[in-house]
Amino acid sequence: MRIIDVHTHPILREDQRGPAGAAQLIRRARAHGIEHLVALGDVLAFSRMQTAEQVQLINDETAAVMRAHPHFVTGFCYLNPLLGPSAVEAEVARCVARGFRGLKLEIANNARDACMAPVMRAAEQHGLVVLQHAWSMTNIHQRRFHTDPEDVATLAQRFPRVPIIMAHLTGCGVRGILAVKNCLNVVVDTSGAAPEAGLAEFAVEQLGARRVLYGSDAPVRDFGVALARITGSRLDARTQRMLLHDNASALLRLP
Amino acid sequence: MNYLDANTWIGAWPFTFCDSHTARSLQAHLKRQGIQRALVSPLGAVLAPAPGPANRELLRTTRGLVGLMPVPVINPALANWREELALVAADARVRAVRILPNYHGYRLRAPAVNELVAALTARGLRLIVQMRLIDHRHEYHAMKIKPVPAADLAALLDRHPRLAVLASGLLQPELRKWLPLYPQLLADLTFAEWYDTLNHLREKVAARQLAFASHTPLLITAAARAKLDPSTRSKTERVAIASGNLDRWLP
Repeated sequence: MRIIDVHTHPILREDQRGPAGAAQLIRRARAHGIEHLVALGDVLAFSRMQTAEQVQLINDETAAVMRAHPHFVTGFCYLNPLLGPSAVEAEVARCVARGFRGLKLEIANNARDACMAPVMRAAEQHGLVVLQHAWSMTNIHQRRFHTDPEDVATLAQRFPRVPIIMAHLTGCGVRGILAVKNCLNVVVDTSGAAPEAGLAEFAVEQLGARRVLYGSDAPVRDFGVALARITGSRLDARTQRMLLHDNASALLRLP
Repeated sequence: MNYLDANTWIGAWPFTFCDSHTARSLQAHLKRQGIQRALVSPLGAVLAPAPGPANRELLRTTRGLVGLMPVPVINPALANWREELALVAADARVRAVRILPNYHGYRLRAPAVNELVAALTARGLRLIVQMRLIDHRHEYHAMKIKPVPAADLAALLDRHPRLAVLASGLLQPELRKWLPLYPQLLADLTFAEWYDTLNHLREKVAARQLAFASHTPLLITAAARAKLDPSTRSKTERVAIASGNLDRWLP
């Protein structure tokens, strides 16, 4: 089975492993049969609202992982939209020149905030995919800066030509799947939290098999467990193939 | 590999789209997943006003089903817990009971828990503490339930240093922090996860303190095996975690 993982953080300061740790993680990914992965950067390094210099450092680390594993890793450019349009546009241009193919948003701000406009314009201009962290805020009272699936839907409706990956199927849950159902520019990755039963099947039933992608969130999650969310589900073999590989390959325009 | 699952359930859970298993369907499901034996508790005992009816159904429906070991739920916050314990302990298959302090409204520090420990010790039964059943971030919106504080478990073990407890549902950081401090504690792998779960745990934790667990049907059964099957740990170690440690722990 061919596998692309659209949600990994090869470098994570919390793990105290540095670049050697990234190589270790990639070896482990290969051992699980993963043939390509998206590196999203150490997006909570320093704080949830990094300076421009810190954002550049995070993206430099991702670029180094891409250089070390040139046919295995696609980088997404991490952004802090609160730094303003000039900083966002400059960092996107810098990362695009280095071969990054997407933008990563975490919890500096909520996706419905006005500061997202320059991010989405840059994504459209450069033909980039936007991967937005999302989690149900029903029991986490941080919506001021933490994006709920309803906020992803708002963002997607404002920028319907930008493809968006809503991260963390399990964190978004049933309500989250339904929130983005009518936003055809939104796909959902299967990363996040423990492997709760029944969600992958529900996501495919509601969104269609083309709008669900495999992601692990490694190193925070186990590659084997993340894969079993799909291979251990009731989804048929053709659908599993789409989730594990074909959808991501088409979205990222991989050769 | 011979698997003994420390954490499975029969009955319905109303807040997710997971399967609802009878004892027979659970047995068949686990067999398809390559899991030969399992400790099984009743989900019906979690939200019901008292666990008795669900325990009775558990004992009745698991009778004659090879590989399923019934683990009734006891709620020491209820006045009748001694009678309930006596009833379930009369069934020779019962070797452990499970408690869910956060769903049943008491702390592990409560005096009744000490009394329960004494009663279990006298009967030669083991105690399983369900530290979390659901990721609390994903609980039904009307349920405001937090995990059992690991510090409360530590305090229980301090009070009862020879007590053999199985902690179910600790997270990876909790396992790495608390298991080295309490070598008598056995913990299941239900919510343990890192990109290379076992190697990461083994940096801090002795293999003899870990037990395989799937949390079927709330979590995907195959995901539990995915923590062990592809692991680079030795076969001896994986066999111990898959079944040997829990076999030794049971009376």
